[in-house]
Amino acid sequence: MTMAENTALELVAANGRPVRHTDLADAPLAVRELTVSYGQKPAVFSLDATFAPGRLAAIVGPNGAGKSTFLKAALGMVPKLSGQVIVFGQPLAAARHRIAYVPQRASVDWDFPTRVIDVVLMGMYRQLGLLRRVSAKQRDAALACLARVGMEDFSDRQIGQLSGGQQQRVFLARALAQDADLYLLDEPFAGVDAATERAIIDVLKAIRDEGRTVVCVHHDLTTVAQYFDDVLLLNVHKIAEGPVEDVFTAENLQKTYGGRLAAVHIDQLRLDPQ
Amino acid sequence: MFETLLDAFLFRAGYNAALVTVGTTLLGIAAGSTGTFIFLRKRALISDAVAHATLPGVGIAFMVLVALGGDGRNLPALLAGSALSAWLGLLAVQWISRRTRLAEDAAIGAVLSVFFGGGIVLLTVIQTMTTGRRAGLEEFLLGATAGMLFHDAVFIAAAGLLVLTLVIALRRAMTLVAFDPGFATSVGISVARTDLAMMALTMAVTVVGLKLVGLILIVAMLIIPPVAARFWSDSTNSVVWIAGLIGGTSGFLGAALSASAPDLPTGPIIVLVCFALFAVSITFAPQRGLFAAMLRYRAFHRHVHRRQGLLALARGEEILDPVTVSVLRKAGLVRRDGVATEAGRAQAARILRDERRWDIARQIHRDEAVINRQDILRPIEDVLTRDEIAEIDRRIGPPEAVPS
Amino acid sequence: MSTGRPDRKSRTAAFWRRACTALAAAVFAVTAQLPVTSAQAGPAKLHVVATTSMIADAARQVGGEEVRVRELMGPGIDPHAYRQTRTDIAAMTRADLVLWHGLYLEAQLEEFMHKLAQRRSVVAVAESLPKDRLLRHDDYANQYDPHVWMDPQMWTGVVAAVRDALIAARPNARATFEANAARHIAEVEALAAYAADTLRSVPEQTRYLVTAHDAFNYFGRAYGFEVIGIQGISTESEAGLNRIAELVSLLVEKNVGAVFVESSVSDRNVRALIEGAAARGHKVSIGGELFSDAMGADGTYEGSYVGMLDHNVTTITHALGGTAPARGMNSRLSAGS
Repeated sequence: MTMAENTALELVAANGRPVRHTDLADAPLAVRELTVSYGQKPAVFSLDATFAPGRLAAIVGPNGAGKSTFLKAALGMVPKLSGQVIVFGQPLAAARHRIAYVPQRASVDWDFPTRVIDVVLMGMYRQLGLLRRVSAKQRDAALACLARVGMEDFSDRQIGQLSGGQQQRVFLARALAQDADLYLLDEPFAGVDAATERAIIDVLKAIRDEGRTVVCVHHDLTTVAQYFDDVLLLNVHKIAEGPVEDVFTAENLQKTYGGRLAAVHIDQLRLDPQ
Repeated sequence: MFETLLDAFLFRAGYNAALVTVGTTLLGIAAGSTGTFIFLRKRALISDAVAHATLPGVGIAFMVLVALGGDGRNLPALLAGSALSAWLGLLAVQWISRRTRLAEDAAIGAVLSVFFGGGIVLLTVIQTMTTGRRAGLEEFLLGATAGMLFHDAVFIAAAGLLVLTLVIALRRAMTLVAFDPGFATSVGISVARTDLAMMALTMAVTVVGLKLVGLILIVAMLIIPPVAARFWSDSTNSVVWIAGLIGGTSGFLGAALSASAPDLPTGPIIVLVCFALFAVSITFAPQRGLFAAMLRYRAFHRHVHRRQGLLALARGEEILDPVTVSVLRKAGLVRRDGVATEAGRAQAARILRDERRWDIARQIHRDEAVINRQDILRPIEDVLTRDEIAEIDRRIGPPEAVPS
Repeated sequence: MSTGRPDRKSRTAAFWRRACTALAAAVFAVTAQLPVTSAQAGPAKLHVVATTSMIADAARQVGGEEVRVRELMGPGIDPHAYRQTRTDIAAMTRADLVLWHGLYLEAQLEEFMHKLAQRRSVVAVAESLPKDRLLRHDDYANQYDPHVWMDPQMWTGVVAAVRDALIAARPNARATFEANAARHIAEVEALAAYAADTLRSVPEQTRYLVTAHDAFNYFGRAYGFEVIGIQGISTESEAGLNRIAELVSLLVEKNVGAVFVESSVSDRNVRALIEGAAARGHKVSIGGELFSDAMGADGTYEGSYVGMLDHNVTTITHALGGTAPARGMNSRLSAGS
């Protein structure tokens, strides 16, 4: 499938209403003309996207579409070829302390000598700095974060002794400990059991209800409408962005996934949000 | 001989031995703590390349000193030269692994052998130089502690304390970068600068250790202590200080041992002591050691057979596995002919009830946390509260006896 | 496949081939002009290669104008550790006569020398000495202490062996060699007499010679000194901590006031010894630098065998409380010995 025909897409709303634009200064995360490439291959090309505050947003697209790359570029973890990343109206370096990042699970060494509580305390690095000792209050705050994800009894376990879903919860707890305004999660539901998935989405919705913003790279199309408020459809280029009910349409999904998604599956996705 | 050993431990074996022991102990503590982060960051082999890369620097520094009119014996200058070429070696490894298609281990091998070979060539050339007192440069290979002087000990103490201070100051950043560099970047820690600091500390330890244990063996002092310490703890901070302790103890014991008998070279003895401590750790550490793992496995093995055997008894099934029969028999739960004893029947009834309760519990509590606390080793009374068990008992009825 | 003009790649390859051929030809032409040996106009001299500078000195004394001597190990070089370089091998294979010490002094060259002896004239000059006059090695059962040049009387035997080797290589110069050898042996015997006289003046209780390694056993035997080296007979052995402690006790017990460093060996062990003694309240100073396995700088008096031993004897005597002329036997020692 050639991307040429998609370069001139506008934001499309299924019922004809124009999509809400957010002022740049309010937007927790906005990118303009972002291009990231690995070697000579572009992973993300000339992307313009804006995320609205206080919403739960999904980034959706086929494999290799640049979703994880987009997050990493937004955080400065991979270098960008061109474009701007604007966080709460400021450049990344100035507003970094307001972002929390939950990476994909596979990238961590599970034999590392660190316990669950230690991982959560890593999230408090901003308060602790290089030298300050961990106070009892901070320890309690860390345990509270673990309690929010249901892992308070596991605080002294070494991380390699946890199941996949438990590990994911611990990393979410670490992000909670950062007390951030913007949460970026890379496929938080990949490979977790049903109970963990429920626990995670409950926490994410709770964070959103507190007024914070959550952006997830999401792999499971069947749950997009159910979990998320907004969605960004991405396949190296932006296909569409906006509220789920407006943007998550069969037409947009066809454009995003090309021929990979049969029409019948798209029908099954049109579930009412719960 | 035992008395001389004791004297050595108590710093009574003479001034020179005491000096060396203090130096090697400090080196051991500094090397063990620094080495933990290299080990966690999976850069152990690079530290070996860096150590071997010091050799040409020593040779070049000597030649420069002689060219400037000295006799080439200025220790700080030689060590500065060694540090410089070690740094170049590190840059070479990074450049090769980033700019060419070679993997990092190939880059390390290339740099290690080329720099070290170059150093040996320089030493051979120097041996033909008629000016300057060359004698003593080969001591950098395996160390030479007998000739340690007071100002050497002062230098080692100062450098060791500096390294320790920096390790303590940077431990949080280095831990974060070693564990999750992506997360570290996202909270604003510069991974590149932290790695640089870590390698600089490694280089400082290497340079300090050149005269004590030599460049060939210093990597052992960096890597063996944290590997051994890993068996004693799951918390990074604990691993760091335990590694420092193991390193310091090796330095102390090794120096004392080499002072107690003639013809024992200090550097290699220290490394052997360090390895002995590692062997003890891997074998006898509680929970993570081989011994503990073996005991745990055998207990688990017995427990599984016991439970299965008792369940079979309770359900009136024949026990087919001879190991199961043997386990039950040793516990006094069955007789020689395979028939259950009084105690056996009582236990079987209990196990059957426990199994039934767990069945119900799994249905009621879909909550993963509870299910995770269930394993074959824990009876349900340890996991659920009394009223929860009462609720379960309501559903399954009263306990049943096992027929004989 | 394209026809006609060859494509860019094969043109580049052809260029490089031609360039390399031209370069090789040029190098060959230049090196072919270089003389294989630096022969001079006039009667051809006997080319001798010697390992240690002491042997080279003896060869020059005996050979005179008939020989050109080249030594492998200059001042400050340690023969125990010396490994031959390619230049050395080239020189030795082109020489008319190779003289080496033997008795495992040049430990790293042993195998090479034995192989070379099958193709060239190679003589181990110290191995011709009668074995009953040699001292046994402390650590190895069938080995001897090689430091025979420390006793001038023993060295006269080596000079004789050098003379015999030169005669065998150039028989028609026999008369010259015999005359030179006789003259030099007389010098060495005068040196032996001077040494005996001078060292006799050192009081009995201070006759302890503490040096960096065990190079002075023959000296000790000849002149009645107790010789203690921190390292063993070879500098390749490492002195352990235990040895230092042992020696510190010895220095304190025997009230030894001076120890000696050597020109070809590191002085760290000696300095450590001094610090150790100081920690026990006993002051020891460095009595001077001795020439143990190598001679002094080329062109100086100490750069000859006689000068080397003269320096050693005079320095030791001064440091240990004996009387000796300030500038040595021939008043030729540099000031400050």
